[in-house]
Amino acid sequence: MSPTLEQAVRDAGGRVRAALAARFRDLDLAEEAFAEACVAALPAWAEAGPPRDPAAWLYKAALRRALDLKRRAKVRAGYRPDPRAPEPTPEEALLVADDPIPDERLRLIFVCCHPAVGTEARAALTLRLVCGLSTAEIAAAFLISEPALAQRIVRAKRKIADAGVPFETPGPDAWPERMDAVLSTLEVAYAKAYEDAAGAGAHADFYEEVLRLSGLLARLAPGDGEALSFAAMVRFTEARRPARLDDDGAMIPLDQQDPAQWRHDLIDEGERLLKRAAACARRPGPRALQAAIHCAHCVRRRGKPTPWPAIVGLYDALLEHRPDAVVRLNRAVALAETAGVEAGLAEVEALAGERTAGWLPWHAARAHLLARLDRAVEAAAAFDAALALNPAPAERLYLERRRAQAAPAAAASPSAA
Amino acid sequence: MQYALLIYEDERNYQDEAVYKSILDQHNAFSEELGDRIRGGAELKPVATATTVRQSAPGAARTVHDGPFAETREQLGGFYLIEAADLDEALAWARKLPMAGAGCIEVRPVGAS
Repeated sequence: MSPTLEQAVRDAGGRVRAALAARFRDLDLAEEAFAEACVAALPAWAEAGPPRDPAAWLYKAALRRALDLKRRAKVRAGYRPDPRAPEPTPEEALLVADDPIPDERLRLIFVCCHPAVGTEARAALTLRLVCGLSTAEIAAAFLISEPALAQRIVRAKRKIADAGVPFETPGPDAWPERMDAVLSTLEVAYAKAYEDAAGAGAHADFYEEVLRLSGLLARLAPGDGEALSFAAMVRFTEARRPARLDDDGAMIPLDQQDPAQWRHDLIDEGERLLKRAAACARRPGPRALQAAIHCAHCVRRRGKPTPWPAIVGLYDALLEHRPDAVVRLNRAVALAETAGVEAGLAEVEALAGERTAGWLPWHAARAHLLARLDRAVEAAAAFDAALALNPAPAERLYLERRRAQAAPAAAASPSAA
Repeated sequence: MQYALLIYEDERNYQDEAVYKSILDQHNAFSEELGDRIRGGAELKPVATATTVRQSAPGAARTVHDGPFAETREQLGGFYLIEAADLDEALAWARKLPMAGAGCIEVRPVGAS
């Protein structure tokens, strides 16, 4: 693909596919027509040079292809084609008119993220249709085989067509539930991206896409506090990406990162989004609280200490929305900073149970707190338990180092080697 | 499109005559609201009256069994067949459907696959 075409496909793909899907109410047709337009662009642009507006060119070509494909499907189904009119059909007139591409991406997002579709399939569909990621890229990030992912996408599309999922932006009464489905889809996609601290490999495209999509959603739904908050949260966490690894490639935890390395442009944007979110809702939703927690950590860039008491308070409020172990664990870690390490550890220990045995963050949090209390033997055992659960390379390096500092006398366990 | 709203509930919820009567009244009101969107539907007798014809493998002889096809806490108690523009409209009706307690409503488009 030529650089111009590649850029145009990337920039215009989501809009063109969304416009076609909204018009024909058919996801397959939208994808196929856009793909064919891209194929046609290659020789056409090579011969005549790239068009003045590549996106508009691709849209018109794809629209024409879609109409062709529809007509052909009609013939195949045994209907007689519409008689050729001497006058241009309304569709053809539309092709001639210099209309801008209608922005139907929000509609497409709502179709792909309908609650009738499974969460993981929703994420895959959205990334494929709205962001234009390839099946191979998505499969690599979801750690499943390409055929399995392709199957999942086919099944999801069939469900959308057969169950009659509407190609409409939902009405105001359905908005909160439906927006929640959209945002949890993006959270699934972002979780995949966030695992990759270095921002390399198969996940690299993901965080850029989530950054782009969340920003788009915030623009398309400017009155939705949760959408604005999610966009803010992604900006706060992405701002820290340049500071998340040291020169050896080991993870640097948030409270030890150098704020000078954070991306201040993203933090500024996040703060603006969060301010607007606060103006939307009488009571902050779970994503607003999460974003506020990340925002609180960012005050260190102004030379102020981390406001731990405020952070504990935000976790308390978040627990009312999401009373789960992840929130409790994070709250316990924050509590160690306000009420003392022992109090924090007690909260961590209180979570112990069947489900914590294979939960890396729990072992890691417990190990750090034990180390701070100079309980070296227990700390070493807890670090080993964390290391046995296959952390990502950056976290492994960090945990191994902390284990060595905490228990210099204890020999490294075989699992940590 | 046509959708079937399949009502799964614990039928013991209806053992109390007063509860049964009250839900029945709600069904009448619900049907009135649906109007000519209703294409069919019925209340089913208790699951103990059910008989299942099962085929264990392709081509195998079919055997007759007592009881429902699967052991579950909730049983299919009745269904509506309605006309709705799309899934969201069908789901909106499913949300309004009267129920006596915990249970679920399966919403399925009608037609050949």
